[in-house]
Amino acid sequence: MKKLVLRLRDWPPSAWIFFAWLVSLSVLPFLIILAMSFAVRSESGLISWTFTLANYERAFHLVYLKVLAKTIFLSLGATITCLLVGFPVAYYLARATPEKRQMGLMLLFIPFWTNFILRIYGIVSIFGNHGLLNQTIMRLGLTDAPLEILYTRFGIYLGLVYNYLPFIVVPIFSALEKFDLSLREAAMDLGANRWQTFTRVLLPNVREGIAIGSLFVFIPMMGEYVIPDILGGAKEVFLGRVMVEQFFTMQDWPFGSALASVLSMGLMIAVWVRMRFEQRKAGPTSHGLR
Amino acid sequence: MASAKTINPRSISSESAAVVRPNNIFITTMFWATMGFLYLPLAYLVVQAFLTDPGNIASGFTMEWVLALLHGDSLWEPLMNSLIIGVASATIATFIGTLGAVGFGPFSTVLPPSLTALIMLPILIPEVITGLSLLLFFLLFRFELGATTVVLAHASFSASFVYFIMIEQLRKLDPHLGEAAYDLGAKPGQIFWKVILPNIVPGLMAGWLLSFTISFDDFLISFFTSGAGLITLPLKIYSLMRIGFSPELNAMSLVMICLSTGLVMVLWSKEQSRKWVISGS
Repeated sequence: MKKLVLRLRDWPPSAWIFFAWLVSLSVLPFLIILAMSFAVRSESGLISWTFTLANYERAFHLVYLKVLAKTIFLSLGATITCLLVGFPVAYYLARATPEKRQMGLMLLFIPFWTNFILRIYGIVSIFGNHGLLNQTIMRLGLTDAPLEILYTRFGIYLGLVYNYLPFIVVPIFSALEKFDLSLREAAMDLGANRWQTFTRVLLPNVREGIAIGSLFVFIPMMGEYVIPDILGGAKEVFLGRVMVEQFFTMQDWPFGSALASVLSMGLMIAVWVRMRFEQRKAGPTSHGLR
Repeated sequence: MASAKTINPRSISSESAAVVRPNNIFITTMFWATMGFLYLPLAYLVVQAFLTDPGNIASGFTMEWVLALLHGDSLWEPLMNSLIIGVASATIATFIGTLGAVGFGPFSTVLPPSLTALIMLPILIPEVITGLSLLLFFLLFRFELGATTVVLAHASFSASFVYFIMIEQLRKLDPHLGEAAYDLGAKPGQIFWKVILPNIVPGLMAGWLLSFTISFDDFLISFFTSGAGLITLPLKIYSLMRIGFSPELNAMSLVMICLSTGLVMVLWSKEQSRKWVISGS
């Protein structure tokens, strides 16, 4: 068969329109952030387009390194929790009958298509100081004062886990689904116990699904703004929150842009890692790649 | 919006041949306990809207607050804004995304990975970054923040979703269909309007609905790009939430839950959009 090659001059006009749209409203804004991260905010608050690395330097000051450390700590904790909860969920789905699997995937994702703000409000309604949980335990006479669950670091953690859980399930589920269950039985027949079968046969085969899923929830978590803003109370710092405040409260766009660029780079690395995995796994004959 | 993206389409069809043995008790319990955790807050929001005293679960139920909301005006303006923005951005996104799919469609198997990555970019970038970068873009190019900028912002990334849906839809189309019409004497315009278009309507509808749902549910990007004057339903709920619990907020949450759930049910019922429901928004 003749190989089809797409040259620029062969692009039909419709392709050009789409491409122009993409460049002007997705690529260009992103490049503006990138360019802004090298600019200077003058005393008067205006942006002056002189090249500097000062914004990046500032991002590595002790104050921000502390913010970064706290953010990583919380996001990592939430990612691990998502993993521990998400793995059994993915396992359940991968081994369910096709009908149950369909149903389960739908159940898993419906809450995530209800509005994001509502999900947060749902958490406040349950765990807040006047929420269902506190109403119940106070009525039962277990405590006199409401438990401070939200507006703490734990509140952020709870919000992160709740909002990102399904996204870690999907890649693990895909990996588990490809896993040949007879391998597990073979291992058992050869004398491995359940733990050995799990750690030496099952886990290595779904390792990539776990890695990809974790990266894809971990990085967006670090950029979260609304969750720490509402569930974290006034004093808890978080990278995404600091970043957004640079734009709106501090009016320091260049520094905010530097933080945004660092975060985006992290995500791009994650995407790149995933593409590498997929290429290696898929090989040239796969239908999986577009 | 960034999240795991690829899912094997086969995995959600019903042809899996794996040996299925029932899950054990631990796995099953974990699954249903997780579902409980996911649904409890939303289920309670529904209950809460009907409580006589929203801060007291034992206070009994009433329709009062919901009726007050439906008869007052605080709901309708934000709701109308959300609907108008949803319709406008979905229509633009469907148009642009379809153009892209029609243009690149014949080459979709040989597109350089960098170009595909570029089209994926708006879907992959975290919402915060998309919102902030669009805000800077609008400010630098002196757009007046308002409905127009929100529509453009929503349509900017929805177009990529439509593109991928339409590429799949076009792939299902028999490539000889156009040729056959041509042989029978149809002009290019006729080929498109009478032969191709009727065959891609399901994809167009799925793409439009997906874009509409994303726009309707979106908070963060609207928050960044709307300026001070415009208020959509999620923005209204957010501003009420900052004040604290109120019957009005609870009733509004109920309305929003019903609308969002209805929309995702429709998306799920359509084969073309189903896999995007699983990849997340």
